[in-house]
Amino acid sequence: MHEASIALSLIEVACDVLREHGASRASALTVRVGQWSSVVPEALIAAFPACAEGTPLEGATLTIERVPGVGDCPDHGPVELDVRRGLRCPLCDAPTSTLVQGDELELDSLEIA
Amino acid sequence: MTTAPRIVTVRQNILKTNDHTAAGNRQTFQAAGVRAINLASSPGAGKTALLERTLRDLAAEMKMAVAVGDLATDNDAARLRQWGAQAEQIVTGTVCHLDAAMVRDVLLRFDLKALDVLFLENVGNLVCPSSYDLGEAARAVLISTTEGEDKPLKYPTMFNTADVVVITKMDLADAVGFDRDLCRENIDRARPGVKVIELSSKSGDGLAAWYSFVRGER
Repeated sequence: MHEASIALSLIEVACDVLREHGASRASALTVRVGQWSSVVPEALIAAFPACAEGTPLEGATLTIERVPGVGDCPDHGPVELDVRRGLRCPLCDAPTSTLVQGDELELDSLEIA
Repeated sequence: MTTAPRIVTVRQNILKTNDHTAAGNRQTFQAAGVRAINLASSPGAGKTALLERTLRDLAAEMKMAVAVGDLATDNDAARLRQWGAQAEQIVTGTVCHLDAAMVRDVLLRFDLKALDVLFLENVGNLVCPSSYDLGEAARAVLISTTEGEDKPLKYPTMFNTADVVVITKMDLADAVGFDRDLCRENIDRARPGVKVIELSSKSGDGLAAWYSFVRGER
């Protein structure tokens, strides 16, 4: 469980963005969490309000967009992966050497109040 | 006066500060000529036992040291110091992983220029350490024969970021009915093509391949 650490980092990044825009508060933020990021969205949502207390993010709504894993199959091109089967093409079981998508852990957008 | 809410597109990595610090660590290691190896596994997979054996066997050949993360105790560092190497504990408190800033801070206690290899023994945990780059040259993920063969698929991020996967406690494989082929299949599913080393820190079997990795040989 490191979602509290992730929440604190998220708040740090969001506060930097607010500062760059000369804003004092955010009312909502959207985070992209990849299926291969090792972050559990529910745990991040649970940890966020307490971590945000006393910061410009206090009371902000956190929305999480889950990003599925995508691999590059030699025969079928980009394919959506099943995390239980690992980096294997769901159509032919060929190894897909790397993740094309799915390890994201990023602040996508925020709404300035 | 009130203004309408404004949506700002950010698209920034949440762990960018850690990644930035890790990049600094990596430069520090490169400048000092130190090979930093991040070791991760579940608790009890045998990270400390493998390091004890490594410190003993390679002592004549290279200068090694260890920075070891632990939630509360100094036990692992004390075990490692027996073998004459410098071992510094990073007590992480409630935090279940090492991060790049913890490593940056502990580096001040080492004379890096005098070292060939620095082991970063992570907190025993297959989830959280996977997100944090420490600035290492290579990441070794350990799995023991006494754990389930499906661990690589249960903890895909950790295994997917491994440069080498080490199967430890091979001396117990038969006793616990370890399914070697299934374990290797699952490792390959998590990280296609990754190098796998099977060894026993107790009997010494398979250590040559590990030592070759420690040296940075291809």
